[in-house]
This record gives sequence, structure tokens and C-alpha cells, in this order.
Amino acid sequence: MARRDPRRLSRRQFAVLGTQVSGAVVAVLLGIPIVGFLISPLFRQQQVVWRKVGDIAGVPDGEPTKFDVAFPLDAWTTAEANLAVYVVKSGDNTKVFSNVCTHMQCPVRWDGTLHQFLCPCHGGLYDINGANVGGPPPKPLPQYVHRIDGTTLFVQNRFTEDL
Amino acid sequence: MGRRLRTAYDWLDERAAIRSLLRKGLYEAVPVRGAWFYTLGSATLVLILLQLITGIFLTLLFVPSVTEAWQSLNYLKEHDAFGSIVRGIHLWSAYILLFVIGLHMVRTFFSGSYKRPRELNWVTGVGLFVLVLGMAITGAFLPWDQAAYWTAVVVTNIPAYTPFIGSFIRALWRGADTVGPITLSRTFGIHVWLLPAILFPLIGAHLALLRKHGEFGSYVNYRGAYRSREGVDVPPAPAQRPIEPPYPAAPSDELWAAPLQTEDFYPHQTFKDGIISAALVVVVFILAVAIGAPLEAIADPATTSYTPVPEWFFLPLDELLVLVPQQLIPLVLVLPTGGVLLLLALPFIDRGPERNPFERPAVMVPGAFAVLFVVILTLLGSGRLFNL
Amino acid sequence: MSALLAVIAPALHVLATQLPAQAPQGQNIVGAQVAIGSLFSLHILIAGLVSGAAELGPAIEFLGYVRQRRNYDRLAHGLGRFITYYFSVSSTIAILLITVLLVGFWGHFWTTIVTIGWWPLFIEAWTFVLQVSLAYLWYYTWEPMRALKGVHMAIGGLLAIASFLQVYMIDVVASYMLTPSTQNPVRIALNPTSYPLTVHRTVGNLAYIGFAFGGFCAIRYLRAKTAEDKRFYDWAGSFGLLWGVSMTLLQPVVGYSYAKEIQLHSYGSWYKMMFGSLSPVFLWQITLLGIMFLTATFYFARRLRTDSARGSGILKLLSVAMVLTTLLAAQPYALGFSYETVAAAGLNRPFWEGGLINPLGSMIPWKVLALMFYTLIAIAAVVWYLRGLPGVVWGTARRGEQRILILMTVFTMLMIVTMGFIRENSRGPFLISGEMTIQGQQDLQTAQPTPAPPSSP
Repeated sequence: MARRDPRRLSRRQFAVLGTQVSGAVVAVLLGIPIVGFLISPLFRQQQVVWRKVGDIAGVPDGEPTKFDVAFPLDAWTTAEANLAVYVVKSGDNTKVFSNVCTHMQCPVRWDGTLHQFLCPCHGGLYDINGANVGGPPPKPLPQYVHRIDGTTLFVQNRFTEDL
Repeated sequence: MGRRLRTAYDWLDERAAIRSLLRKGLYEAVPVRGAWFYTLGSATLVLILLQLITGIFLTLLFVPSVTEAWQSLNYLKEHDAFGSIVRGIHLWSAYILLFVIGLHMVRTFFSGSYKRPRELNWVTGVGLFVLVLGMAITGAFLPWDQAAYWTAVVVTNIPAYTPFIGSFIRALWRGADTVGPITLSRTFGIHVWLLPAILFPLIGAHLALLRKHGEFGSYVNYRGAYRSREGVDVPPAPAQRPIEPPYPAAPSDELWAAPLQTEDFYPHQTFKDGIISAALVVVVFILAVAIGAPLEAIADPATTSYTPVPEWFFLPLDELLVLVPQQLIPLVLVLPTGGVLLLLALPFIDRGPERNPFERPAVMVPGAFAVLFVVILTLLGSGRLFNL
Repeated sequence: MSALLAVIAPALHVLATQLPAQAPQGQNIVGAQVAIGSLFSLHILIAGLVSGAAELGPAIEFLGYVRQRRNYDRLAHGLGRFITYYFSVSSTIAILLITVLLVGFWGHFWTTIVTIGWWPLFIEAWTFVLQVSLAYLWYYTWEPMRALKGVHMAIGGLLAIASFLQVYMIDVVASYMLTPSTQNPVRIALNPTSYPLTVHRTVGNLAYIGFAFGGFCAIRYLRAKTAEDKRFYDWAGSFGLLWGVSMTLLQPVVGYSYAKEIQLHSYGSWYKMMFGSLSPVFLWQITLLGIMFLTATFYFARRLRTDSARGSGILKLLSVAMVLTTLLAAQPYALGFSYETVAAAGLNRPFWEGGLINPLGSMIPWKVLALMFYTLIAIAAVVWYLRGLPGVVWGTARRGEQRILILMTVFTMLMIVTMGFIRENSRGPFLISGEMTIQGQQDLQTAQPTPAPPSSP
């Protein structure tokens, strides 16, 4: 056989290279859109709106009162879902809590007998100021960004601190 | 007539090699003793196939949309008795599948069936277990009733406790910060396409590996079992069939390579497999008709009266979530992950040839503890939830 | 026989005439509590062994059959003999308790609880019939049924089931006293602390019998004459300890879960145990648990070293780890009698701020971590001991190992009595939490006031 230039690709080597390159091209062209699609939620902003809760003049002092407020669901749907808003008044101070437990996000409810917020999933307890006082929750009860116009409460579907 | 059939059979055999396929498939050698325990694997397969079939037919009605999911299933419940039974089979088969897969895992663990050369069989098996669990979890989200919605909220929240990337994983699965339409669509796609696309080829690999090395069975079938008995002479080898494929003809390990006695897969093992699988399917059917698949009230994020209750196979984890204080919550992630990693590493930790479970307590005892802990946590969890 | 009757009859007559015509009032309560408490403790110390033996014995017989080992068979046979000796003793004490002391001193309570929990007690009575017949049958047909070992083991299996059922039934009644539920039978059987208590006691009985026969075999080993006996007792002692530790390491999880249920459903009792007057005893209990694990790990290390089997080094390291964990668990939270007294004095601040609180002693997360470490280190110790066992020659143990085994038995009994004391006193002043006090059970007419549990810390 004639001496070959070692820098030149043999026929076999060329075939191997061609196979690998074709595979890589397909993988990359398929992969980029798919990966981008999967992680796109990390870069999308959730729709934040103000909603009117109602007149909170009648809320008794020291007794958390629940209001159901409709907020839009995410993405393309036009449907809306209710979120629970707990309004707690103590004198001039008004706190607006959500009922999302900071442990596993189960629905928290106010328990009159215990005089605390109770999460039924794993026994988490929050006092009337939202501080986590018992059970596994690591943080206090989240508060909604809100504003009060006179005696009307408005709430955003956004917490004052990220959960 | 018989001659025509034989001609047809020969025609097919020439073109599709049916004869050797059937012979390999049906008349493979399997061990004799303890055969009723080996039916658990085929029972798992039958229940998974049941899931596949009922699942496919359920997609002919179910709509994975937050406004229509519950409505479509409610319609099924109100107006379609047969469809409700299909849905009931889908649910109860899932519950029983998880139980049977647990039993199958315990059986193969104690019999040492994961040892050389069957390590990959075990590894694919662990993968299947994780995938089936994933199927069960993702399936639970879909009805979008109260139970499904809160399961979705809590389950997607668990990975959030992973350090650094936790909230990213949660956002990835939910498709947003909160559970919503994208969560349902993604979970539906994962449940119906993504996981099955990995699950079924893995089942194929699992079965192919089984066929390659043969069913190991249990130590009582092997010459090695007779070594550690006191005052009992090693019995003379019974008149046995010559060592048949798939068992190695020239065994490298004389004590554990090939069973002393084997029989044909068909009809002896298939008989036992059939009885157990049929019994399980009958039980599933009875449960599907008598109890059916419940559909609770439609999802309501604002509820203050609903108590989310986990699926039964999640009870040990849920009880851990109650017991573990907030500073140690990442432990609740570490334990299952560590457990799965340990399971995967098992054939590489327990490498010795001994198959008798009583002669290798250093591996069996921690395994027994793990099973005991899971059982105890499940009992305690169910007691707690009953008394809420 | 008649001479015996001649002695007993007058004594019984005297006893009967001395008992008060009606339930005692006032000061006699302490006397009654002491009498009932000591007799119950004695009963539990024996009955726990009998229950454990009835469950463990058949299991050991089965293991021995599968492994074809004569040792196991001999051990199971010994456990069977133990049951036949002591069943009647513990039953007598129990009957004395329920027909004389409880009826005499706590009559109203006893009739109430028997009315509410009649069916668990009814089933329990029948499990006793089963246990007695099966235990004697199982023991006395041992040799005659050698050829029918399968049937014999089935008898043993039924005995184990009867024993478990009996413990479950009495636990239904006992747990109802702490966390009463509404009175439909299912809710009574599954009241909040019935599951945790049953799991806790079943595991505990199994551990107790292990430690007990470990100590017993240690004594026998020291007195053994033949080499075969020495081999057997050495092996049996080690087996008992191994079994005891394996069961005990499940307890931290079960116990914590039990305490959680008490917190959720009987807060006053929980508070008393964790923060109140019983908290020093509870602290002692968690320390004793660590001491027990430590002693066992020490035995494992020593036994392996006696025969130069491998693994002794790692076990010594595990012993050190166990010492550290016990020290962590033993940290008191309140540097006073109890948190309650410290808080009342206004000193609930860390000690470096002039208070009497030691933050390292808090349950969350330090003691929870300590409990987890107890469990994990004990599992590691068991595993490493098992790995080293093939290198051990039975019959060569030194005296030190036997002394450790006897010490473990003493510790276990101490633990049982401590837990019984805590349990019964945590519920005080109630006999049925929230429903019937010790004072009140004597007054049938007046409705009982429910003392409010202390407010949360």
C-alpha cells in the first residue's frame, strides 16, 4: 500500500467523525429549545394584581377574620381562584396574613380553642401575630402586600417576603 | 385441519423464527423450591400493564386543564358507570402495585438475588421502583380535587428544602411560583409520556437481564445451603436435569451458580404466576366496584376546613415531617435520597457469594430495621391521622 | 394442703375485714397510690418478661428450625419453661390488683373504665385462656412433637399472637385513660395514644426479655461446669443483649411519636413531663437510655476483643461516640428543678444572661439529634458486632462481659419502673384525662371540675 500522510483522515476515521457530528447536531438542535422550554418558568414573572378585599371596619379586635379573595390563575387561563386572606386587628395595627403554612404550604386555619393558627398537616402553630410558635414551621405566617384606603382593604397576590 | 395448522406454523417459523422464540420463552428452567414467592415479580408486571391499559383508556375522557379536569372526572362519575370502574381499577391497582413492588423488593433483598452476576438486574429494579413511585405521585395531582390540589402543593414543596437549588426545582415542576395550570399540564405530560417512556424500556431491560442469568430464587435451591447446617449431612444430589440454560453450564461458583432442581417455566411457574396475578386483579376489581376512585370537592386554595391527608405510601415520610423539628427538615430529604442511593449501591456493598440470609446478618439486619421503621412510621402516621 | 388453707384463710379474713367499707377519702390517697403503684410495677416487671418470652420464644424456635441449630431450640425451650413458671405469679398480682386494690380504692374509676372498655377486657380475658393453654401445651409437647416440628411451631406462633393481642387490649384501656376519645368501639381502640403505646410496649417487652435472659445466662455462665454449657450460655447471653439492643434502638422514634400524640391530645400531661414537675425524671430517663446503649456497645467491643475478632476497634470508637451523645442528651434545659419553677422565678433566659436556661439542653434540635444518634450509632454497633461474630469462639467470655450483661438487666428494670412512674404521675390528678380525677372518682354525685392545663410556654 502507498504511504499515507498521517495528517489526512482515513476513510474509516472520516465516517466515525461524520457519525459523531451528525449526532451532536441533532442533539444540540433538539436540546436547546427543550431545555429552554423546561426552565422558562424560572424567568417568567407571575402576574401580580391588586384586588379589593372589602370593608374591614367590622373586623373585631384580636379576632382573625377570613376573607376569600379571587385572584387570576397563572398563564393562559382566564379562570380565577380564591385565596384566603386573614385580617387581624390589634388597636391601630392591622396585619394581613395568608393561610399558606411555611412548612409544606398546607392550608392554615385559625383555631378559637387554641387561640392560635393551626396547620392540620403536621401540627404547626402560629400565634395571633403570625410568629411560628409550635411544630415544624420554620418561618412566621406570610403576610400579603396590602394597602388600606379609609376602611377598604386592597391586597396583592404577593407576599412581603418570599416564601 | 391439523396438517394445515402445522404448515401455517412452519411458514411462520421460517419467516419469524417462532419455534425457537417460543421454546426459549416458555420452556426456560426455573428453580423449584419457594416458587410461590417468585410470583411477585410477574404480579408487579401484570399490575403495571393494568395501569397502562386503564390509563390509556382514561385519556380518552380526561382533560388536563384546571377548569375541566375535575369536571371531566365528575362527569365520568355521574354518567358513566363503566368508566368509573376503569378509573377505580386505575386507582386500586396503583395502591396494590406499590404494595406488591415493596414485597418483591423485600423478597429479592433477602434472597440475595442481587449478587453477581445479577447486579444490573437489581439496579434497574431500583430505577423501576423510583419510576413507579413517580407515576403514583404525578398521577395523584391530576384529578384537581381537594386531595389532588393539596398533594400537588405539598409534594412540589418538598424539593424546595434542597439547599441552594431548592426553589428552582420547585419552580421548574410547578411552572411558576404557585401551583396552577402549568403545573397540571406539566404533570400530566410527565405522567402520561415522560415517565412511561423511561419506564417501559427499563422493564424490558429488567426482563432481558432476568432471562439472561435465570431466576435465582432462594438459597434453599442450591448446594451452598447445606453447608451451615449442624448435624445434617449434605444430601446426595437429587436426580436432576442437566444444568440448563440460562444457568451457566460451567459454573464459576459451584455452590450458587445453578439450582439443584429445576422445572419448566411453562406451565409450572406460569400456573403459580397466573393464580397470584389473577387473585390480585380480582381484588382490584372488587375494590374498584365496591369503593371505586373517590372524587372530592373541587380544588379550593382558600379552604380553612380541609385537612390534606397524604397517600398511604407517603405516610412514613409524612410522619417524619411531623416529628422532625424545623432545623432538621432537610433530613427528611436526606433520608429517602440516602435510602435510594444505598439501595442502588447494595450489590456493590454486599459482594460476598453467600446467599443464605441468616449467614449474612451484617446486611440483613439493617435491611430489617429499615423495613421495621417504615412499617412503624406508617402505623403511627395512620393512627395520628385517624385522630385528627 | 389443708394446713396451707388453715394458714391462708384467717389471713384473708383479716385482710378482708381491714379493707375500708367504702372508698377511702383524703389522706389515704397517697397510701393507695403507693400500694397500687408498687404492685403494678412488680406486675409489669414480671408480666413484661412473660409477654416477651411468649413472643420471642416461638420466633427463636422457628429461627432454629430454619438454620438447623440446636442452640436456638434449647434457648426457646428455656423461655417456654420460664413462661410456665412465672405466668401464674404475674397473673396473681394482676388479679390482686384489679379485684382487691382497684375495686377497693378506686371503685368508681374501675367500674367506669370496665363499662367503657368492656370489650377489650373481654377479649383480653380470652387471650389469657389461649396463652395459658398454648404456653403449657407448647412447653410440654416439645420433645414428644419433635417429629411434628411444623405443628409445634404453629402452636408457638398462636401463642405469640395471643400474647400480642393481650398487650394490645390492655393498652387500649391504658391509653384511653391518658387520651380518652368518644365512646364508639373503633374510636376507643384507635384512640390517639393506643397505637404508639402498643408499638412501644410490644417492642419494649421484646427488648426486656432479651436483656433479662442475657443477664440470666450471664449468671449461669459464671456457674457453668461443662464446656457445652459454657458455650451455650456465652452464646445465649450475647444473643439476648443483641436482641435487646436491636429492639431498644427502635424506641426513640416510637417514643418521640408517642410524646407528640400526648402533646396534641393531652397537653397538661405532656407539659408536666417536659417542662413541669416530672421533667427531671424524664431527663434521667433519656440519660439512662444512653447509658444502656453505651453499656451494650461496650459489651460488644469487649466480647470481640476477648477473642481478637475484628471490629473491636470500631466498636470502641462507637462507644466514645455514644458517650458524647449521652452527654448531649443529658443536658438539662432548666438549671433548676424544672422549667416551670425557673419560669415562675422569671429566670427563663440563657445562663450567660443571668438566667437559668441552658440552650444546649433544648429538645429542639439538640435532644432530637441525640435521639437520632442513639439510633444510628446503635445500628452501627449491632452491624459491626454481627460482622465480627464469625471470629468469636463461644465459651471463652471473661467475667467482665458477664457483669455487663447483669448490669444491663438491672438498667432495664430501672428504666421500666421509671417509665411507669412518669406515665402514671403525668396524668395526675386525673385517672381519666379531662374526665375523672383521683379525688373525683370517689364522689359519684357531683360533676367533676376539669383542671385547666397550664398555658403554653
